[in-house]
Amino acid sequence: MKRILLACSAGMSTSLLVSKMEEEARERGIETKIWAVAQDKATEEMKEADVLLLGPQMRFMKKKLDGPAQEQGIPLDVIDPVSYGRINGKAVLDKALELIGD
Amino acid sequence: MNTFMDKLENVLMPVADKLNNNRYLTALRNGFMVALPLIIFGSIFVVIANLPIEDFIGEEAYSTLQDTLGPASAATLSIMGLFVILGIGYKMVEQREGESIYGAAVALGAFLILTPQVVDEVSGVIPTSALSAQGMFLGIFTAFIAAELYQYFVSKNFTIKMPAGVPSAVSRSFSALIPITFTLTIFLAIRIIFDYTPFETVQNFIYTVIQEPLTALGSGLPATLIAVLLIQVFWFFGLHGQIIINSVLDPIWYTLNDQNYQAFQAGEELPNIVTKQFIDTFIVGIGGSGMTLAVLIAIFVVAKSRQMRELGKLGIGSGVFNVNEPVIFGLPIIMNPLVIIPWLLAPVIVAAVTYFSMSIGFVPKPSGVIVYWTTPPVLSGYLATGNHIMGGVMQLINMGIVFMIWLPFLKVMDKQYYEKEKNAA
Repeated sequence: MKRILLACSAGMSTSLLVSKMEEEARERGIETKIWAVAQDKATEEMKEADVLLLGPQMRFMKKKLDGPAQEQGIPLDVIDPVSYGRINGKAVLDKALELIGD
Repeated sequence: MNTFMDKLENVLMPVADKLNNNRYLTALRNGFMVALPLIIFGSIFVVIANLPIEDFIGEEAYSTLQDTLGPASAATLSIMGLFVILGIGYKMVEQREGESIYGAAVALGAFLILTPQVVDEVSGVIPTSALSAQGMFLGIFTAFIAAELYQYFVSKNFTIKMPAGVPSAVSRSFSALIPITFTLTIFLAIRIIFDYTPFETVQNFIYTVIQEPLTALGSGLPATLIAVLLIQVFWFFGLHGQIIINSVLDPIWYTLNDQNYQAFQAGEELPNIVTKQFIDTFIVGIGGSGMTLAVLIAIFVVAKSRQMRELGKLGIGSGVFNVNEPVIFGLPIIMNPLVIIPWLLAPVIVAAVTYFSMSIGFVPKPSGVIVYWTTPPVLSGYLATGNHIMGGVMQLINMGIVFMIWLPFLKVMDKQYYEKEKNAA
């Protein structure tokens, strides 16, 4: 089970990505839990996650979240703007899996 | 061009970081988030109570309806400052991983100590006006300071140590005793000191010295246009301009909004044009920052390239609900010199046109109800102006303006994409 957490300002635009990523994961037969939250919930929710990805428009949050992510021992990165704009579930899922590592 | 852009981004990133991650501004934003569900609840019932049905059900039934629904907004929207104070106090202490409920309690207690509890020489009453727009700034500052003092005294360990064996709940209740007592004593002293100043109350002091000048500035067109422009500039670099600018301006915009709401409920003339809802409904709330719903419509009308048409399909579903990241990152708008002119210009012009339309009475001013930002345009305009059809019309006009400004630039972009696709085929 791969647990992927996405965060943006209100968790709205990242939730667009969630369904696309879930679709892609289902096709590949990977068991996942993918969910999107608002920025102020990110610190709390990352306790349940294996990786945290930020919407590029909130990339200034990275500095603040780096500490808590390190404490949790989970990787944290910003989603590439092009994949974000195209709601490219495949690319973002790849990125998440790569960050989690195997 | 690129090095200039890089330089500008290097300036904007730290600003975004500072504003968004500042402890006080974070608590302020999250404090408002605590109040928001209650504000929306109150707003829904203001909308229902003011539905244009007087002609159908008769004057008497209409006024009964208004009276019956009155408590819904009187207990929430009318005293929103109360919930903001609780929220800020709670979030301030939560950030430091303290016992946040005491943060909320001490903030509220401190605020009430500073609040005059006399109305027209009747004592033992708290004027609801103190809990609304009028007390907003005092509430915010009080919550900040009270929570900080509380945390300070907790960190100094002036707590009463209980012997082992005392249930933890018991010792916890004592652990807050000394910090809260010290904090509230300071606020009592502040109140007493102000009794001897010409301002008489802290409320009066904050209102006159800080709130009035700031809201006067914030309600003016120049400051509003600058704010709108800054939101666009941040977004151009792919940074969430709305979140960044709102962190600073929300207290002002909510206060102005509340002044309108109080006047609307009292049946008086609405004092302000620029309010929270002016920005949220007439400028951002037309597909998201930059009013990209009009841009999507323009794409459907003129675009020939596959890339643009696909973006249109991708963006329209969420665009109707004012979520527009697919357009911003997909068109793309970010760092795209081709669209910088319409991107920066259109919202500024729309803000000025809307301001002008409201000042001459062509469109009613925002009534002060809060319409949640994902409400689709036209409907949101209707709701935000106190159930007035002209609010929706204004949004349609604004969409037309954005459409016209964008059209020539979209055509150029589309042509480039189209030719690239043709050559690739």
